[in-house]
Amino acid sequence: MEFNAIQILLVGVWAFIVGIDQFNLLESLWQPIVTGAVVGAILGDLRMGLIVGGTYQLMTIGNMPVGGAQPPNAIIGGIMATVFAISSGLEATAAVGLAIPFALFGQYMITLVFTVMSPMMSKADKMAEAGDTKGIVRMNYLAMGALGLLFALVCIGGLMGGSALGTTLQGIADKYGWIMDGLGAAGGMMRFVGFAILLRIMLSNELWGIYFAGFTLATLIGYIPELSGSALLLVAFVGIAIALNDFQTRVAMKQNAGSANGGDEDGI
Amino acid sequence: MASNATQYNNLTPAQPLDKKTLNKMVWRSLNLQGSFNYERMQAGGWLYGILPGLEKIHGDNEEDLKISMQHNLEFFNTHPFLVTFVMGIVLSLEQQKADINTIRAVRVAAMGPLGGIGDAIFWFTLVPITAGITANMAISGSVAGPILFLLIFNVVQFGIRFWLMGWSYKLGAKAIETLTANAKEFTRAASMLGVFVVGALTSNYGGTTIKTVIPNGESEIVLQSILDGILPKMIPLALTLGLWYLLKKKGWTPVACIGALLILGLVGAFFGIF
Repeated sequence: MEFNAIQILLVGVWAFIVGIDQFNLLESLWQPIVTGAVVGAILGDLRMGLIVGGTYQLMTIGNMPVGGAQPPNAIIGGIMATVFAISSGLEATAAVGLAIPFALFGQYMITLVFTVMSPMMSKADKMAEAGDTKGIVRMNYLAMGALGLLFALVCIGGLMGGSALGTTLQGIADKYGWIMDGLGAAGGMMRFVGFAILLRIMLSNELWGIYFAGFTLATLIGYIPELSGSALLLVAFVGIAIALNDFQTRVAMKQNAGSANGGDEDGI
Repeated sequence: MASNATQYNNLTPAQPLDKKTLNKMVWRSLNLQGSFNYERMQAGGWLYGILPGLEKIHGDNEEDLKISMQHNLEFFNTHPFLVTFVMGIVLSLEQQKADINTIRAVRVAAMGPLGGIGDAIFWFTLVPITAGITANMAISGSVAGPILFLLIFNVVQFGIRFWLMGWSYKLGAKAIETLTANAKEFTRAASMLGVFVVGALTSNYGGTTIKTVIPNGESEIVLQSILDGILPKMIPLALTLGLWYLLKKKGWTPVACIGALLILGLVGAFFGIF
C-alpha cells in the first residue's frame, strides 16, 4: 500500500511530537498504545493501529526506561511497526520485528543529541553568568526541537524507503556500531564531570571521609538486587542520621560555649 | 563555571511566591529533560523550570539572579514526575536567601532518593497496570484503550506534580524559620548530607565497566572481575576523583573534560574495551 504525501507528512509531525514527548511534555503520548492508534488513524486503518499498538505495549511492559537505561527505542518502534503492519498486511508481531533497525537508529539519535548537548552546558554557564534568562529558555526548546526533528526524519525515511531501508540501516549499524558504542561509553562517563563540578565546591577537606562513606554504602547496597530501586533512599536515611547528629552536637556545643563556665566537661 | 559566591548580596527575604508563579513552574516542570545531556543530565531543564520563581525572588538584584542561575546549572537528576518536590524546597530556600552552599546541598540531597520512589510509582505500578488493562482493550479494537490510558496516567501525573509543589514549598518555608538561628551549623550538616549523596551517586550512577579479556589458555582473565576484586566500582570512583583533580587543581574546563572522555570512549570502543 502506497501512502500519499499528506499522510507521510502527518506521520512525520507525530514523530516530531512524540520524539519530544518521550522525555518531556506529557511523557505518555509516546507509549505504543497511543502512537499505534494515532498512526493507524493517519494511515487509514485505525483498527490495525490499535492492535499493533496494544501488542507492542504488552511487549514493552517490564522494559521501561528505568534509571536512565534505554531499551531499543519504543517510540520509533511503535510508529514503524504500525506502518509496516498496514503497508504489507503483516501480523503485529512480525511488523515489530521489521521495525527494530529503525528503533535502533532512533536510539542513535538520542545518543547523538545527549552527546552534543554536553559541551553546550558550558555555553549555558556563560548565559547564566550574563543573566540571560531568555537564552536558557531558548536552549531548552532548541534541544527539544532537534530531537523531535531527527525522529521525524527517521520515520519519514522509513515511510518512503520501507523495510528495504531497514536492511540498509541494519548494515550500517553492524559496520559502524562501535562509534555509537563509543559515544555511549563516553556518555556514561560524562556524568562524572557533573559530579566533579559539584565536588569542586562542596568537598571541603574535612568531608573526604563522608564522600567515601556514601560511596561505600551505595556500593554495598548495590550488590543486593532486591534493593536496586530503593538504594538511594536508604543511603539518604543514613546520610540524614549522620548530618542530623552533627547538627545537634554542634548546636549543643555552641550553647555550652555560650554559658560562662560551661564547656569543661565537653572539652579536652 | 559556577561562581564561588557563598551568599547573596541582598539577604532580605523576598516576598513569598504567589500561586500563579508556582503553577507556572509546575507547567514548566514538564520539560525538565528538554536539554538532557550526559554531563549534567537535567540541569538545563531544571533551571528553565524554576526561572519564573528566581526572576521574582531576585528581581531587585541582577547580580543575585546571575549567582542563582549559575549554581542551579550544576549537575541535576531526579525523577521527572516528582521534580516539583525539589523545586518547592529549593525555591523556599532561595526566597529566604539561604546560604548558597545550603541550597546546593539540599538540592543534591533531595534529588537523589526520588528516582527510586518515582520508578516504583510510575514505571513499576501505574504503567504496567493501566497499560495491561487498556492494551487488551486496544487489541480487541476499542479506541477507548489509548484514551483511557492517557486519561488515567495524566490525572495521576498532574495531581502529583501540583500537590508536591505546594506542599514542599510550604514545608521548606516552615523548616527554615527554625533553622536560621543555627544557620552555620545547618549549612555544615547539609553539606555533609550532600557530599554523602554525591558519593553514593558515584557508585549508583557509575555503570562504566570494561570488557577486556586477556587470553590465558583455558582460563582467560576477565580484567573487570579482577578490578571488582580490588574495589567494586573502582572505575567510576577513579574517574570522578581524576576529573575533580583536573577541574580543581589543574584548571581544566568542563568542555576539555568532556572532549577527553569522548576520545577515551571512541578509542576504547574501537579496541573493544567498552
